[in-house]
Amino acid sequence: MSETLTLSDAKSIIENQIEDLARRNREPEWMTRIRYRALEEFIHAPLNDPIIDEQTLLHFIAKPEIEGLPEKIESLDDLPPEMKSLLDRLGISEVEQKYIAGLAVQTDTGVIYNQFLQEWAKKGLIILPTEEAVRRYPDVVKEHFLKLFNAGESKLTAYHTAVWNGGIFLYLKENLKVPFPLHLFFLIQESSLAQAPHIIIVAERNSEVHLIEGCTAPILVRHSLHLDMTEAYLHENAKVRLTVLQNWPEYVHTRPMTRARIGRNAQFLNTTVSLGAGKSNIANPKYWVSGNGYVELNGIILGQKDWYIDLGGEMHLQGEGASGINASKAVIMDESTVITRGVIRAEAPKTKGHISCDALLMSDKARMETYPGLVSLVNDAELSHEAAIGKIREEELFYLMSRGLSEEKATQLIVKGFLEPMLKDIPVEFLVEIRKIIELAVSGGM
Amino acid sequence: MLKVDDLHVAVEGKEILKGVSLEVGRGEFHVIMGPNGSGKSTLALTIAGHPKYRVTQGKIIFEGEDITEYSPDERAKRGILLAFQTPPEVEGVRIIDFLAQVLAEIKGIDIGEAYDLIKKKAEDLWFKEEDLKRFVNVGFSGGERKRLELLQALLLEPKLLLLDEPDSGVDVDSLSVISRKIEELHKKGVSIILITHYGRILKHIDRENLKVHVIRNGRIVKSGGAELVDLIEREGFKAVFGGGNGE
Repeated sequence: MSETLTLSDAKSIIENQIEDLARRNREPEWMTRIRYRALEEFIHAPLNDPIIDEQTLLHFIAKPEIEGLPEKIESLDDLPPEMKSLLDRLGISEVEQKYIAGLAVQTDTGVIYNQFLQEWAKKGLIILPTEEAVRRYPDVVKEHFLKLFNAGESKLTAYHTAVWNGGIFLYLKENLKVPFPLHLFFLIQESSLAQAPHIIIVAERNSEVHLIEGCTAPILVRHSLHLDMTEAYLHENAKVRLTVLQNWPEYVHTRPMTRARIGRNAQFLNTTVSLGAGKSNIANPKYWVSGNGYVELNGIILGQKDWYIDLGGEMHLQGEGASGINASKAVIMDESTVITRGVIRAEAPKTKGHISCDALLMSDKARMETYPGLVSLVNDAELSHEAAIGKIREEELFYLMSRGLSEEKATQLIVKGFLEPMLKDIPVEFLVEIRKIIELAVSGGM
Repeated sequence: MLKVDDLHVAVEGKEILKGVSLEVGRGEFHVIMGPNGSGKSTLALTIAGHPKYRVTQGKIIFEGEDITEYSPDERAKRGILLAFQTPPEVEGVRIIDFLAQVLAEIKGIDIGEAYDLIKKKAEDLWFKEEDLKRFVNVGFSGGERKRLELLQALLLEPKLLLLDEPDSGVDVDSLSVISRKIEELHKKGVSIILITHYGRILKHIDRENLKVHVIRNGRIVKSGGAELVDLIEREGFKAVFGGGNGE
């Protein structure tokens, strides 16, 4: 980082990107206007990030792609050899390996899901790349685009809004229940743009869906900063499960922005499985819950190397009888730091909230901090929290070893067991991989 | 098969065993009795290789091999199994998966076969199939924990089985199934060291060949046959130790 960049340098770069995106996506004017407005806000918005300072951000904007990766990846043989061998050790199928390598990009995903889509489109399911949804369903998108965020909240929100690209738009018609999980993996490998997918989920009354995003295997990414934004709108009685799987390489900063409005009696189960060893991951998802609605934020974290993870979570229980649970379990290795700071605000009568946080420290340099926040604005809310931070207990380890398991195998079993209760919503094919990744991490094989 | 020779053991700097010697031959049944804090459990945990129990002097020979410095799993692989007095809870680990993994690794039994074997043996110890899906010892009663320890002994069929108070905190029915299973293992030729406070667990066991040791303050102070058990049952440890300071 030799030269100093200015905000106006960044501004002109972003302007060019907006022009590009607008032209390439044949974007309606209203969307391009949103981008430009966000760019104006970008100049004045605060940055509010403990890790990324302004110069770092500006340099990233000037040059989003990192150096040192293979120029072109045309087949799996072009992958860095360490990565290829890790994928083999994890037993990952060739099809999935191609996704991981970025050989199958988002447009390909569209193709793969096409047949399936046609079937379900008739029943009222829309899954489209967000750009395409903007063109084809402008009214619905307009109604739900950036309604839970203000672009000017921070420089990162503003930057995302100005240059968002990729992501999906998921719409479920009233009463439509999708009986199997939808797995979407999207990764844009275009080097000149920031990785900033925008995801919109709209679940009409009585609809149900389970959306799985990402994958458990480590992915080869070209960008060191990931700014994805997810907006979910759940209408009365809708039930949405959003499971996010991520395994970042060690040079990546991620700032996922997730917010959901949860209607009466609706349920939103938001699970994030963070494996691997990114550089930093800072998130503060927010949820607004109506009467008798329910929100669950489950964080499963395997922190390796010097990954810095700060997981918040703000739940506003706004309707009578609304409830929320913020539960996290972290296995913290090496020099990784995990901070959890969930907040539950009881803003209506008879609301309930619970925060729990468990951490297993696997090394002397691993670090955990937890700051549960409970705020009650009414006199009959039930709010509680619990936290436990500790190491593997010697008695447990001895017990398993006295049955003939090596220290390594016994440790793997304890660590897998520690996370197991949180993995109840994960489909079995991912569970197998998650367990394998934990085993490899515990044995120092990642 | 097992030879404990002048064993001194310290825990966190404090000496608990002060020179214990004990020989256990193949298929023998030894009983170790003694008041609380006399060093009974320490002896069992040290033979099993608990890292907190440090041998400061003496050694443990198993089948001619000095195992004093071996890790717990190396001892288990050689055929030593300790049934814990209070086995710990292992959150998130299902009994069935755990036992299958142990059988696969120790005995080389194929996983599918292991599952069948576990289910079959579990019935003998009153575990239903759904019980086996529970997490190891999590929320278990005293009796359930002891029965699970015995189930592991039945499955692994060790050469030497150390039983640390299999009769404490157990209801009468569990006690009788546990002692019958101990006798069953004994008849199969498993050498046994049983630690207990009371004689009642020995009711189902052939008393003829019992070798009984009384331990006090980290030393074996008396050895004999089943008559020692009767004496302690009747008159307490003071009958063995003499004087009035028996606990």
